[in-house]
Amino acid sequence: MAAGEGGVTATHEPAVDTYPAHFEPQPGPTRRLLFGPGLVRGGWMALLFFGLGTLLVCALRWWWSWEPVWNTEVVLAVAAMTLAPIGFLAGIGSFDYWLHYVSGRPTRPEDHSGHGATSWRDYFRVNTDHKVIGIQYLVTTFFFFTVGGLMAMFFRAELAQPGLQFVDSQTFNGLVSVHATLMIFLFIIPAFAGIANFAVPLMLGAPDMAFPRLNALSFWLLPIAGVMFVASFLAPGGAFGAGWTGYAPLAEGQPLGQTFFNMGVQWAGASSIMTALNFLVTIITMRAPGMTFWRMPLLVWANFTTSLLVVIATPFIAGSQFFVMFDRILHTSFFTPDNGGYVLGYQHIFWFYSHPAVYIMMLPGFGIVSEVISTMSRKPVFGYRLMALSLIGILVLGFSVWAHHMFVAGMADWLRVPMMITTLLIAVPTGIKIFSWTATLWRGRIHLNTPMLFALGFVTMFVIGGLSGIYLGSVPIDIAASDTYFIVAHIHYVLFGGSVFTIFAGIYYWFPKMTGRMYDERLGKWHFWLTFVSFNLTFFPMHYVGLRGMPRRVFDYDEAFGDVNFVITAASFVLGASFVVFVYNMSTSWVRGPAAGSNPWRAHTLEWQVSSPPPIFNFDEIPQVVAGPYEYGVPGARHAVMSPAREAEQVHA
Amino acid sequence: MRLKGIVQLVAIGVVIAVALTLTAVLLQWLPTSASEEFDRIQGVYWFATVISICIFSLVTAVVIFSVWKWRVPDDDDADGPPIHGHTGLEILWTAVPAVLVTAIGIVSAVVLARNGEAGNRPLEVQAIGQQFAWKFVYSDYDDLASGELVLPVGREARFTMTSVDVIHSFWVPNFGQKMDAVPGIETTILVTPKRTGEFAVVCAELCGLGHATMRAKARVVTQQEFDAWLREKAA
Repeated sequence: MAAGEGGVTATHEPAVDTYPAHFEPQPGPTRRLLFGPGLVRGGWMALLFFGLGTLLVCALRWWWSWEPVWNTEVVLAVAAMTLAPIGFLAGIGSFDYWLHYVSGRPTRPEDHSGHGATSWRDYFRVNTDHKVIGIQYLVTTFFFFTVGGLMAMFFRAELAQPGLQFVDSQTFNGLVSVHATLMIFLFIIPAFAGIANFAVPLMLGAPDMAFPRLNALSFWLLPIAGVMFVASFLAPGGAFGAGWTGYAPLAEGQPLGQTFFNMGVQWAGASSIMTALNFLVTIITMRAPGMTFWRMPLLVWANFTTSLLVVIATPFIAGSQFFVMFDRILHTSFFTPDNGGYVLGYQHIFWFYSHPAVYIMMLPGFGIVSEVISTMSRKPVFGYRLMALSLIGILVLGFSVWAHHMFVAGMADWLRVPMMITTLLIAVPTGIKIFSWTATLWRGRIHLNTPMLFALGFVTMFVIGGLSGIYLGSVPIDIAASDTYFIVAHIHYVLFGGSVFTIFAGIYYWFPKMTGRMYDERLGKWHFWLTFVSFNLTFFPMHYVGLRGMPRRVFDYDEAFGDVNFVITAASFVLGASFVVFVYNMSTSWVRGPAAGSNPWRAHTLEWQVSSPPPIFNFDEIPQVVAGPYEYGVPGARHAVMSPAREAEQVHA
Repeated sequence: MRLKGIVQLVAIGVVIAVALTLTAVLLQWLPTSASEEFDRIQGVYWFATVISICIFSLVTAVVIFSVWKWRVPDDDDADGPPIHGHTGLEILWTAVPAVLVTAIGIVSAVVLARNGEAGNRPLEVQAIGQQFAWKFVYSDYDDLASGELVLPVGREARFTMTSVDVIHSFWVPNFGQKMDAVPGIETTILVTPKRTGEFAVVCAELCGLGHATMRAKARVVTQQEFDAWLREKAA
């Protein structure tokens, strides 16, 4: 097991050469490029499957004499959005192992050649290493974050003054809808999955996730969904413009672009569900000896509860979007009132997912913040068990509040007060978490570095989002404030001041572990303060215009709101610019930052006890967990017994 | 030293609370109320605002105070005291928020019930949404139809809403009441105008390309003016 000269990845020799040479003949380079798993085969197989799908649709329509034989929407739904992605996935090699198995051919013995990354090319193939997949997730999600952010700045420019300036109203509705969809399905949810993918197996003392091939597949579903959402702008009639909520019956009368939303959500949702199952099995079965549930770091707890939410809730949004698509294409009438459909049914099914989705987008952030605040305050998390239990409280209550999105929707009156009570009660476990974080700070030895700044920024901003949530939980106030910019302000305080701040905290916190290098602290602080100030200038005034009477999702508004909207737009551009600082810091530090060492924060959790970046299979020896993860200040306390980390060879200071 | 710390902490909290209270009071956050329902809603709003200012000031004060008091230089490598928790405190900050949100819940439920109680013979108005305009039908007056909403001051009006195409939402910001107009079902809401004047009817639910322009005028007039308007319309 001698380490190679060039890379950390050479610690385990591939076991390939223990098999006879004739086992599988080595093809030539051209053959390998065309027919070996990879993006090239992914490309032509996607085209091939698209062609097959088109033929299938047209042949069936011709057979049953349905006029016209060519129906663009059906061809798109079947060939472009169902079969072509499957072809792509098969082409890049997601199914190779399984196909060998089901077709009775000898399966390739696991040679771990899909593990680790020695060059940037390894990030562009099906890789089964949870650390590589974590980074694939993060880079992909930040790409879509950039796209979604540019869209936001575009429609903010439109909103700087009343009246129409730059875009027509369909484009405006499309920009707003795609912005929200990308941020939710292609950024916040999968960015957390990326961080957890990297950190959770390490924190558990496991060599990888329970199902590495499934893990790779769930990552590759994600760019498919992202491309679908963005490509909807190319559809005749423009991008889907019924909002990310896609309410029926508006969505059913939308042009072709709506189908891109219906199907994109399926791919993103499937990705979420598979990842969540993987986390559940990993956390339940792959904990190191001694790692009881009550010794798990809170990030692991957070991802455990989040995964339960995903597995239970996500099928509902898949269902709601299939129903809408069937109404559009097959002319069913789930939600069309003319044929006895029930319009409010859509909202009930949609929010039964999309309210828990708010916690899917928040609980992992709670986990990250618990890690950061405890480590940077040099104190144990205050009330560790209650912190874990409050996650479970939110999980359970989270399924009983969905109709608070429908207080003005015309649903049954009797449902409003019970839903209000459960909604308000969620403030209790959330409050426990906020107070426990502040108590963790109390008398600590506080290191105010970038991850800590973002964590504390999160705590204060999330309180604002939580409190405006109490206003909205109260039915009478919600009746006045629903569907206005107050909602826009609330959702951004929760998802930006909340989730995005925690994602930044997590990225800065684990950056040294992921790359082996240190980010630039000065730039990190600039990034924080620019983001923090411009975030508040952008979103706080939205409470005001909303309460005063500005509805959301409008390209034109009352002259009286012109000045405030101009300020909001200006601030949103600064917010966009602050992200450039982040990208610059991350990319330059990744290439040439100073070596970070294995444990720059002197944290106790397991991922910091191995080298940075960690060895291919994480642990050279299985750690023996002997105590809780946050025993700061306890003399001689250790979370686990294991030999000290060898420094990684890859990074030279 | 301990006492001094507590005084400093409280001082920070009070400064934040005062600043927030001034922001809440000096800026006009809510539109002028033009209905009795909105008066009651504004009561709940202020009740929630007082509680919110207290909680936000408390949390922010502790964060600022802790960072100011216990920040250490980067190269400090000592640990803080190993405090794992405190059962009394944990019970306290579970119980107090529970009581506060219950209070908000009770106040809200009472206001909701009162705003939903129709009095004796309210003025019946049908509000029908269609991309992208409102139609108001006065069922008590031979189904008189109008694109402009005219209401007599002081008389409770019951809106019965529906839509002929997609979901719209009937909203007059100064009335504080809002309800979706949903195709296939009927929804209702009560408004008792208490102030004469002209207000905007706004569609609050995304309804398609013309959503932003789906507006109408609402006029609250005296009973005499209302009767005159009815006669003129019927003629």
